[in-house]
Amino acid sequence: MHLNEPDAAEVQDLRVEIDGRALVDGVSLRVPPGRITALIGASGSGKTTTGLALLHEHPPGARVTGEIRVPDGLVGYVPQHPATVLNPARPVAALLQDIARTQIRHLPRRDRRTAIRQRILRALGQARLQDGETLLNRYPHQLSGGQQQRVVLAQALLTGAGILVADEPTTGQDAVTKQQIADQLAAVAREGIAVLLLSHDLEVVRALADHVHVLRAGRIVESGTPEQLWSRPQHSWTRALLTSAAATEPSEGPPVQNGTDETASGPAAATTVLRVRSLIARHGKSTVLRTPELLLPPGCSAIMGRSGSGKTTLARCLAGLHRSYDGEILLDGVALPRSLRDRTREQLAAVQYVFQDARAAFDEHRPVLDQVARSAIRLRAAPRTEALAEAERTLSTLGLPGDLVRRRPTELSGGELQRAALARALLARPRVLICDEITSGQDAVTRRSLRTLLAGLVRTHPELSLVLITHDRDTATLATRIAVLDDGHVVEQGPADELVTAPQHPLTAALLQPAPDVGVMSGMRG
Amino acid sequence: MNPRTVPGPRRFTLALLILTVPLLLALLGPLFAGEPGPRAASFTLGGGHWAGTDFVGRDVWRQVLLGGRPVVLTALAATALAYAVALPLGLIAALTHRRWLEELVMRPFDVLLAVPSLLFLLLVAAVLTPDAGGLALLVALVNIPDAVRAVRAATAEAAARPAVEALRMQGETWWRTAIGYVGRSALRTLAADAGVRLAGVLYLVATAAFLGIGAEPDAADWAVMVDRNRTGMFLQPWAVVLPAVLIMALTMGTNLLFDAALTRPDRGPGQDRRGRRPAADRGDQGTAPDRRDRGPAPDRVPQPGRTPAPPSPTDGPPRAPGRDEKSNPCI
Repeated sequence: MHLNEPDAAEVQDLRVEIDGRALVDGVSLRVPPGRITALIGASGSGKTTTGLALLHEHPPGARVTGEIRVPDGLVGYVPQHPATVLNPARPVAALLQDIARTQIRHLPRRDRRTAIRQRILRALGQARLQDGETLLNRYPHQLSGGQQQRVVLAQALLTGAGILVADEPTTGQDAVTKQQIADQLAAVAREGIAVLLLSHDLEVVRALADHVHVLRAGRIVESGTPEQLWSRPQHSWTRALLTSAAATEPSEGPPVQNGTDETASGPAAATTVLRVRSLIARHGKSTVLRTPELLLPPGCSAIMGRSGSGKTTLARCLAGLHRSYDGEILLDGVALPRSLRDRTREQLAAVQYVFQDARAAFDEHRPVLDQVARSAIRLRAAPRTEALAEAERTLSTLGLPGDLVRRRPTELSGGELQRAALARALLARPRVLICDEITSGQDAVTRRSLRTLLAGLVRTHPELSLVLITHDRDTATLATRIAVLDDGHVVEQGPADELVTAPQHPLTAALLQPAPDVGVMSGMRG
Repeated sequence: MNPRTVPGPRRFTLALLILTVPLLLALLGPLFAGEPGPRAASFTLGGGHWAGTDFVGRDVWRQVLLGGRPVVLTALAATALAYAVALPLGLIAALTHRRWLEELVMRPFDVLLAVPSLLFLLLVAAVLTPDAGGLALLVALVNIPDAVRAVRAATAEAAARPAVEALRMQGETWWRTAIGYVGRSALRTLAADAGVRLAGVLYLVATAAFLGIGAEPDAADWAVMVDRNRTGMFLQPWAVVLPAVLIMALTMGTNLLFDAALTRPDRGPGQDRRGRRPAADRGDQGTAPDRRDRGPAPDRVPQPGRTPAPPSPTDGPPRAPGRDEKSNPCI
């Protein structure tokens, strides 16, 4: 359909250098209209720099050589966190009008108002924003994350750009949202707009992209269609990147043996570690969570749900970080005090929590080793030398060598800090370890290593009860028991095998589906 | 010479130049003062007094040597006292989850803020006639509401971070969390505030002395000297000019010193905007991904060069702290 049209953008021998170091080293690619071109690679491989080069943006002080041709002159950009590019002080209508107004200057004054409105509504339709008209008067903070993303998309489309650069649109989203975003991008491509997708979410790339370039250290190491790359990767790096995207690694499968033991013990009340009874949690005046009964037996359990369903609130109630709730949380039959401050040292040590943002959860001024050892010093009254030795041992079992952990958190990567956070929690020798979305927002390689780590934890600490809060299917399948939350209610809970093979509730099915399915869409494109 | 554009320790030069003379005179002056000479006629120049005599015929230079200490010590004591009270209160207000406690701490200070400081000083002085120690206390009291607000505002952001909750989960004591983490995170802001406050306190102490509060009318005190010797300024300017210049130099020098100390040193070569060093090894060991730099350091201090440690094969690339770096299109 669009095969004979000129490319929407063309990059030749792009080289972006800062202080002698090349962020992008000789990248050449073409972005044809009506197609989705994907750039994949690990963080730091130069994807964003290349994408931004199309917008003629580059890091300050960088030297840019090479040729970038965008015949249209207009490039749309959708960043990863759309809320950050929406002016919070103005309603959506005003944001879109500003752009539309520049385009209708040639019309006579009395036609301008209707022309602006038409353009805005068309852009909102292209961005697949339902009830666009009702949302026009809202401010960005009154929209949900998905709606904000569509508004940013509408902004980009309104400019009339022939090419759209989408930067990590699906990272950190749950499966249902990923599907929606994938559908949006496919719809945009169908309109004839070229899409340059920068992502390390390989499932979405495989489903959506027409052409994929693999970037590594600023160079394109391989290009081809998804079928070619996934079935016959030529370069070793491509092979490594794509095999790590394989859903569940067969060698580290979920501990199926434990699962059968637990499900065989009927009501399992005697072996239940954590039990939630009639929990009603509030944020201010509004109720966000209603859990009449939730059982978390020893072993690995997962609590799944979409963003905003109340999973984090539940996790924080369990940990004692959220104290405005009615109901009881029983650990081995004993009710836990609501607030952290009221818990004894033993109770604190028994329930530990790993935060989603590991970097924000560490003190940036102290070495990681000291912070990890502090758990033992404070919660188990261990002497300092012993605590440090144990901390170093635990950290090395988690893959962090001694010299690295003596540094400050700023010198470690996100994945390393997440392991250090796990070590910090483990040093308290907890009965229950709650991991709040620790794999979301990380790239595929880090996610896989964290999953391997968690699976290993369950094996090496049989008395530990691991509670995984997640919206990621692969992380949830590590668990033996899954509970699904929707809008503050538990819609389904049971053994993981049952939920994966025969989900009762549609949300469970949606969250546990293998990958975004755009097969129908791609077939319709010319 | 703008401290902001001058790299390295040279940015301290101007501040130290201005500050050293009055500070040394103030702290070490009394050691060199010697015995008081015989009284001469007021407001005369020459005759062995190289700076002339003051309003009661004493040698001006000797008064200058003796007069710095009260000013400096009172100002330092007042500032230290103000922070000793404001820091815990501000931290309590920032760290508490109980709304009513925060209101209880902050609202009374809002009321006190409305009271003009000089008026307050005069009122209390009229009733109580304080000495130097009392003056320090009064000036501290006047500064506490402002300092509490500054401390609370500076620490509010750090107090809301997951790190504070993580410390609580470790059973960490309140003091170590508050001072060790939250206070430490807000150090730069608090240091900047301290600099401004010290200068303000110096001014207030000097003004109080002008008005006769906290010092004897004939005390050896720079501020008192400026006030008392005004009458003979056209006969003998040095009795006013010397102490005035010294007070000014003290205030300016303190300000410049804090400015220079808080200026981040310029980036050296080989680093990009976020203070990264080039990755030492480019990760061409098989399947290991590049072990790149770890994301922006919050203080943007240049990272020391790292020896290439063997990359762990399962380690992922860095994730930006908090807000993802990709949300800023201008990187």
